[in-house]
Amino acid sequence: MLRDGWVPTMCYQCKAECAILARVEDGVLKEVRGNPRGRGKACVKGMAGVSLQYNADRLTQPLRRVGRRGEGRFEPCGWDEALDAIAGKLQELRDRGEAHKLTASFFPHSITDPKWRFLNAYGGFINTALPHCDSAKIVAFIKAMGGVPNHHIPPAFFTVPKGGIMIMAGRHAFGCLDDASVPRDILEAKARGAILVVLDPLFTADAAKADWWIPIRPSGDTALFTGMTHHIVMNGLHNKSFVENWVREGDFERLKDYLADKTPEAMSRICDVPAKDIIKLAEMCAAAPSVGVDSFKGIMLGQAMDFGHAWTNFLAVTGNIDNPGGQPLPDLTPLAPVEPVPPAPNLHERGWHRTGPDKDKFAKYSFIMEPTWYQAQAIKNGDLKVLVVAECNPALTEMGQEEWRSAATMTDSKGNYLLEMLVSYEIMLSETSRYADYVLPDKTYFERWELLYMPWWYNFGQGIGLRQPVVEAPEGCRHSNEVFIELGKRLCPEYFAFKDDVEFYDRQLTGLGLSVKKLQDLGGLWSPGTLGFRKYEKAGGFGTPSGKVHLYWEDLEEVGQALPRVDLAPEYRVDAEQYPYVLLSYRTIFHQGSGQWTHNNPQLRDPVGGFRDNPLLINTATARKEGIKDGDLVTLRSRSGQVRVRAKCTERIRPDCLGLHHGFGSSIGRVAAGGGGVSDNALIPDSGTTLDWQDLVGGESHVSTRVRLEH
Amino acid sequence: MNQLSLAIDLSRCIGCKTCVAACRNYHGLTDHASDMPGKMPYYLRVESRREGSFPNLKLESWVVPCQHCNNAPCVKACKSGSISKDEQTGIVRIDQGKCQGSGDCLKACPYGVIQFDAARNKAHKCDMCWDLVHGGQKPVCAQVCLTDAIRFGEKQLLRMELKAEGKEILKRMSAQSVLYYRDSV
Repeated sequence: MLRDGWVPTMCYQCKAECAILARVEDGVLKEVRGNPRGRGKACVKGMAGVSLQYNADRLTQPLRRVGRRGEGRFEPCGWDEALDAIAGKLQELRDRGEAHKLTASFFPHSITDPKWRFLNAYGGFINTALPHCDSAKIVAFIKAMGGVPNHHIPPAFFTVPKGGIMIMAGRHAFGCLDDASVPRDILEAKARGAILVVLDPLFTADAAKADWWIPIRPSGDTALFTGMTHHIVMNGLHNKSFVENWVREGDFERLKDYLADKTPEAMSRICDVPAKDIIKLAEMCAAAPSVGVDSFKGIMLGQAMDFGHAWTNFLAVTGNIDNPGGQPLPDLTPLAPVEPVPPAPNLHERGWHRTGPDKDKFAKYSFIMEPTWYQAQAIKNGDLKVLVVAECNPALTEMGQEEWRSAATMTDSKGNYLLEMLVSYEIMLSETSRYADYVLPDKTYFERWELLYMPWWYNFGQGIGLRQPVVEAPEGCRHSNEVFIELGKRLCPEYFAFKDDVEFYDRQLTGLGLSVKKLQDLGGLWSPGTLGFRKYEKAGGFGTPSGKVHLYWEDLEEVGQALPRVDLAPEYRVDAEQYPYVLLSYRTIFHQGSGQWTHNNPQLRDPVGGFRDNPLLINTATARKEGIKDGDLVTLRSRSGQVRVRAKCTERIRPDCLGLHHGFGSSIGRVAAGGGGVSDNALIPDSGTTLDWQDLVGGESHVSTRVRLEH
Repeated sequence: MNQLSLAIDLSRCIGCKTCVAACRNYHGLTDHASDMPGKMPYYLRVESRREGSFPNLKLESWVVPCQHCNNAPCVKACKSGSISKDEQTGIVRIDQGKCQGSGDCLKACPYGVIQFDAARNKAHKCDMCWDLVHGGQKPVCAQVCLTDAIRFGEKQLLRMELKAEGKEILKRMSAQSVLYYRDSV
């Protein structure tokens, strides 16, 4: 029963999914606020969610492709026809023993997501935006500390004590892709005497508020942290009690041997941060009551695992694990399993990352999901036959977009598409839906039910949030979760013996003695409100086999990664003469990565209220050297593509780098089509084609690349 | 008169424009289904100043709403008498019933914050969320500010608060009824 007034729900303008209040008047959504019973903030994207809700480009009926893939020609069809076609194809795929050749691409924002259940029950794979973000960090934390890490999520800045140090390593925390309370919490911590240090080749909004901005060379983070660790360890500045009690026996000595030649001077030559600054920061960190390191883009590169490793080693020797202001470890919320629980497909048997010449090596990839670049490679290999895309946009916002587009249109000798079916759930048409056989009209986050549980939330270890309908969806829209439940009832009914999504969530909530109704009555949020520190002490150790923190990773000895490799990632080293600049793909608070929601939103493309365009940021001195004037149209070329873009001369970027805001380039939709901007991903090769650059256990060389300027 | 005021912290403003979007929503300035970028009215805008050269840079951002001027030029310029400075609160308001749409106030405003609605032939602008503040709430921008960079209250009380906290009030920017301040260096 919908009601007017302020209704608690959860935002989904980006992956942070903040707790919000939505004001409804006569059944119409009017306003959004941060929910004070959550962490109280919603960002500009969240506010502009009202414009998404009433966007004139919203789809309200299923579409069937009538032209060739990529042409974007469709005609309306009924839900029955679309569902029969999709279920029929999935039945056929399973009958021929190829259920694992179904991939659904979506953001697994909750382990309660019925889409995930469907994939496990049917035998398909999830392919997610996650591995391209921070999988290396996740894997590093699992290896070093065991268990589910607090990965995507920064240190709990609201716990940083006076004098604590907050290091943003390539992280744009003021971009609000974590909880919208993060900027406030960082500034509050600063106000009580914490210190903000930003490592970034670009002068970001975060850098503007930093006590110290260090314009590091891209991918130099591993060397910087290793140089700091050298100084701390060799000078006996490490946290002796943590190392003695909680680092696995023998690891510290191995680390010390490894560090012998990794002096600040040697590391300075790699990361281009003066040795005296590495020493200064190391001494600050050793003396501080806490150090929290937040990164995201800092690790979005090949050899990212090494950065994750260098970072966890640094945290361990400084004793900054699960302490106030350090790296939190999450608590788990005891939701009830919905019996019977479908077994996930055996990934090792079915083949991790079934792609490319190094297919076998990728058996070592230890993350739980497929990366996005897998799609194009797997289509070519015959390993991906049905792709269902929801809430992501691989034809535009992922690296190797041209590779993806080409793979999606590849045919066999009879003219049949190698990818036999592509289904796209959309709130409005996107670049990806142009390639779809069926486009299904999704509900917005103001129209649907979802139980959100993410152990990695900033909001605390324990907590759940209820997304509930606050306004009616247009007739004809169905949420992807409802449709997956419908497909589950048809194809694997034993695992979908519940009425609908609400009943599915009800069953999970019994673990907390709650139901959807009770959770609604509670205000849509549940948490005991505890964070807890040094939980490993009570638990009798960490989740690693030894119960201690592992600095040395013997399982990676044979690939030479038992300890971090400190060199720059390969994408920053190769062909430097032909491509002299490193392209930085950066973010701001106005746009999330997937494209349409924010790029086809008038408020977020408005010059006063948002960010219209993505000119090429070029250092003023570099522009002068290249003979480029502000506003000139230039060609930016990489190994894999080129774009024409206007130059913006600025002081806010390293002279050896160029910057493009990520996610632009959409030409579909009333607002997006009229806006400028180019896609950075046109320049960035599909990681599947650069496997030799690729970290085998979690990194992806796909965010930045080397480029040259032509004009 | 006890002037109501906003106090804007340049040390905290990150230029995120959350206030701009929230203000538009609350005041119904946007037709979500048909408006296009660059065509929407706004009662707030963000300005910023970057100084220095790589790598020694400094950037400050702040928002510019109606300044609710002490001797508001728009009041003087309006021949229809539809703009007034409220005696009790110092809020400068445009009476939509009386506005003749001459546009004189837009020309007179030194801060460029008055909007013109051609369809209705009316001028309109920030009224410091008159209805909200009279109901005991803060203006929308102060409610939603992502970093709590906007305070609301009586100007003299805000000034007292800021002084007590050792903040630097930027005199040139705070020449009217809105205060701008930063952390003292």
